[in-house]
Amino acid sequence: MLNYIWAGLVILSFAFAMAADGRDLLRDKYRNGQALAVTLRLPGDYSQTQPTVNCEVVIRPDVYRGFYGTTISPSQGLPATLSQRGNLRELRFARGVDLPEPLATMRDFVSPSEKELRGRVEMLVVRQGQADAAVVFPPVRFVRLKAITQAAVDFAGTAVTLAIGLVGVLALWMGMVRIAEKAGLIHLVVKAVQPFLRLLFPQVPRDHPALGMIALNLSANMLGLGNAATPLGLKAMEELQKLNPTDDTATDPMVMLLALNTAGVQIVPPAMLVAIMGIQANQLFFPILLVTSCCAVIAVAAARTLGMLPWYAVKPAARPGGDAEKD
Amino acid sequence: METVRNIIDVASMFVIPALIVGFPLYGLFRRVPVYEEFVTGAKEGFSTAVRIIPYLVAILFAIGMFRASGAMDFLIDGLRPIMNAIGMPPELLPMAITRPLTGSGSTAVLLDMIKQHGIDSQVVKMAATLYGSSETTFYVIAVYFGAVNIRKTRHAVPAGLIADIAGAILAVWAVRWLVV
Repeated sequence: MLNYIWAGLVILSFAFAMAADGRDLLRDKYRNGQALAVTLRLPGDYSQTQPTVNCEVVIRPDVYRGFYGTTISPSQGLPATLSQRGNLRELRFARGVDLPEPLATMRDFVSPSEKELRGRVEMLVVRQGQADAAVVFPPVRFVRLKAITQAAVDFAGTAVTLAIGLVGVLALWMGMVRIAEKAGLIHLVVKAVQPFLRLLFPQVPRDHPALGMIALNLSANMLGLGNAATPLGLKAMEELQKLNPTDDTATDPMVMLLALNTAGVQIVPPAMLVAIMGIQANQLFFPILLVTSCCAVIAVAAARTLGMLPWYAVKPAARPGGDAEKD
Repeated sequence: METVRNIIDVASMFVIPALIVGFPLYGLFRRVPVYEEFVTGAKEGFSTAVRIIPYLVAILFAIGMFRASGAMDFLIDGLRPIMNAIGMPPELLPMAITRPLTGSGSTAVLLDMIKQHGIDSQVVKMAATLYGSSETTFYVIAVYFGAVNIRKTRHAVPAGLIADIAGAILAVWAVRWLVV
């Protein structure tokens, strides 16, 4: 299942990106190579020989809308710089200036880090204090394709940052749990929770420490202690892995633990929600409690039922050197 | 009801300090060399985090690409009729789709919805309920299975997704019934 979802995400991303880019190309959304008519407000001492001139760009809304086929009006008097060298002139919008779409997209595409849109000035007719100009921007194609490439690289980095960020809490809780194990605390927890937890995890043998870890993980989740819940959950997974006859295939108790964790059983709403919603979060206390408990029941039922389907049966252990890696 | 909430709130503040102090205290009482055992256990923290990396990279980069491709917009348009048929407001779809995929993404969706519809609107409350009542399914799967090198996840993904879909539908009704 995960194989198909994963491959599906990657392939669909490419397909959708190409579809969107193809549509943009067909409609010529960015008017590549065509000149946009603008008016430049020039300073009083302007002369054709000055190398750089600070000016303001005024684009008539009806001209802009007609040219790009949008409904957006550009704000008037965008700050820019005009550089001149003989007959070669370039118009450069000030960094970070609030450009209307699609110019903003074009700027991000052409100079993602500098955020500076430049255009070649094809024609400049100077009248008192201002000039009519025709500006051609660099061609913009395959915006989405570039975006997905960038996203793939960025998110690969994010994944590492996230994982490394876990090192501290993982070390803290794994250390604590080790003390609790050695002191016999986990054993006491197991004794206390096993009548109930063995109903959900019948395959875990009686008095096994995994039950204690699962109980700690679930309680931390319920109290909204995400920082403690993840390390305790991973510890529970390690205990369950010790009972796993295979190396790389999930067992029923593992899927049950995952189901309870992905359903996110929590009595206390997550801190992030309280931070975003403020006082409004209070109102949502009972709806969240209701939904999360129902979800937990549904997740348990789904994990139990799907586990019995032949489709998800554990395949017999692969022969050594066999085709274990095939799927 | 308010007092129940206050008790839970205060209790949850005390749990972590109680555990962090309680475990070593009980350990001392049982004559466990607490410092030595803590360090031995904590050593695993790093290797576990590193073991997760390939799984997290695999899941996150695929989801990142999917978000950047604009597929979400196509999906939202395509699913709109189904949404209307089951009585779910279509504005809720971005949240329902992003929630199982990415934590930061769904936070951004919630903030965006508040900006668009106002914090008092019913649809924002539904989105917040959905946000508060479920977890980032794919992240949890990557991290938990990654920690023990499980690659064949069997029915974990479908079971998680069934719960997510149920959560989205229930959030709509819970807000309609319970929030005035």
